Amino acid sequence: MDVSIETENLTKIFRVRRFPYLAPREIAAVDRISLAVPRGTSFGLLGPNGAGKTTFVKMLLSAVHPTAGIARIFGRDARIPEARRAVGYLPENHRFPTYFTGYGMLDFYAALSGVPASERRRRIPEMLERVGLAGWDAMRIGKYSKGMLQRLGLAQAMLHTPDLLILDEPSDGVDPVGRRHIREILSELEQRGTTIFLNSHLLVEVELFCREVAILHRGRVALTGEVKALTAGKGYRLTASDVPDRLRETLTARASAVAAKNGHVDFQFPDRDEANSALDLLRAERCPIESLTQTTSTLEDVFVRTVEAHRAATGVGQTAHEPALPAPPAGSVVRDLPEAGAKS
Amino acid sequence: MNARATLALLADTFREALARKIFWGLFGLSALLIAFFLFVMKIDVVAGATATVSLFGRNAGPVADVHRLIQGVYGFVAVFLYTWGMFLAVFASAGLIPSLLEPGRIELLLSKPVSRIRILLGRYLGNLLVVGANTIFLVLGVWTIFGWKTGLWPVSFLIAIPTTVFIFSVLLAVVALVGVLWESTALAVMVPVALMIVSPILAQEKIARKLLSSEWSRNLWKALYLSTPRVFDVGFSTLATIRDRSFGSLEPLWTSAAFGLVMLTTALIVFARRDF
Repeated sequence: MDVSIETENLTKIFRVRRFPYLAPREIAAVDRISLAVPRGTSFGLLGPNGAGKTTFVKMLLSAVHPTAGIARIFGRDARIPEARRAVGYLPENHRFPTYFTGYGMLDFYAALSGVPASERRRRIPEMLERVGLAGWDAMRIGKYSKGMLQRLGLAQAMLHTPDLLILDEPSDGVDPVGRRHIREILSELEQRGTTIFLNSHLLVEVELFCREVAILHRGRVALTGEVKALTAGKGYRLTASDVPDRLRETLTARASAVAAKNGHVDFQFPDRDEANSALDLLRAERCPIESLTQTTSTLEDVFVRTVEAHRAATGVGQTAHEPALPAPPAGSVVRDLPEAGAKS
Repeated sequence: MNARATLALLADTFREALARKIFWGLFGLSALLIAFFLFVMKIDVVAGATATVSLFGRNAGPVADVHRLIQGVYGFVAVFLYTWGMFLAVFASAGLIPSLLEPGRIELLLSKPVSRIRILLGRYLGNLLVVGANTIFLVLGVWTIFGWKTGLWPVSFLIAIPTTVFIFSVLLAVVALVGVLWESTALAVMVPVALMIVSPILAQEKIARKLLSSEWSRNLWKALYLSTPRVFDVGFSTLATIRDRSFGSLEPLWTSAAFGLVMLTTALIVFARRDF
């Protein structure tokens, strides 16, 4: 597989000094993460606060040094500056120097990315227009609104036409119209083969845009998979028993997910027509129908379930009643549940 | 590409110094001093040797030797530049390294295909350029005015440029190290200024040798004297050169250079290994 980002057992352990005379406490912010992001895809990194997302991204950019493991960008060790030539990055809480004008800021970062002066003169006005900031080039960015700064940051990340865009909360502070505009720009880039790596809290946005996601919890990958497969629970769930093998095979081919338990078979269908058709076939075979329920499974549902399950397994913040877990959707990979992330 | 990135980093430091009014502050001070000599101090040279000097239009009396008068003025400018100018330069530059390390700014810089060493050196050299440009402006400005007024052009005064910039480069290495270690502007001012203050005290080594009772304490004094920047000694040599005397031993230069090199190398190593 042609990959843009690849990590092998990537680990970051922070040492917290305790005064006085106590051994430092070790906190595994990222714990042996092995991940591969295919080239040309849109990949979302999700996780609750403190899951290790930002540390993971910073290790990809060599802003944080790994304690163990390795990160590669297009096959090259991420610690080598040259490997980052193919990367465009928009940090989350960016602080662009306010003495820059919009043009000056793009010119500076593009120069650092190795874009020649003649190219910069040509590309900067184009890029400003593309992100909706035409005419603002001579204005000091201290006067820009949060949304405008976000657009400028995006322009900065795209200016040197990188093959990999790493975006940390790209639509933070941007109005809904602006968000759609950013999504359109990113979709366009993805169609051209650029890998988009999105770190966002906005699950709806990730669901709308990303093809694949990874959910981090307590420094480890709790779940990875295609968004389409993970959200396959949206539709109708038909539970029947005594289903003959032949019919089971037929329905499995039509269903988005299938799970068997206690002699019952759960078929998950994406829409009402498929569910009705399956119901007709089961009735024709005189199979007992246990239930037929409409289900909704958004990425948010998947996220909450995954985090809750992970939390329950690690014994931290376990809730009294866990929501019923559906069978893992086709195409998803549920990772081993880890030990507690914090070591002392 | 590397040269392009280095130029961009140098220009960025210059731009920030302009925006923070650091450059213009130092430039304005230099311009004031130059203007003082240009408009307020009037020198009438008679037969190339004697002169009358007037300040604010009032006659300050005849001066027997113009050459000595010029040496006195140049000495004053060099001492002013070397003490107050240096202090202001350190004060103005101290914030430029911590500002680079602000969260949200440093991550973006590190994401670019530029090595960390180049990023820090770019800032260091940019800072040096800002102060160097102001030093050159002040020294050449005063030199040109006095040359024009008296017809005397002693090149010895120009030594104030390299010595001032050299000692500033040593102190800036301390600023860089303190900056990458603690990201504190206040501390980045205090440490080099403390080194400046302690230098003339440590330079009284001969007196200390007489006053200190134990060999151990005398050795400690000497070790401190030799291992810290010899700000006083280099300043003294500069003044001696301006007064047509020998610069003297070059030892203060190389021991100070060694100190600066150790500070800068340590700053680069710390910066290269830090997490942001």
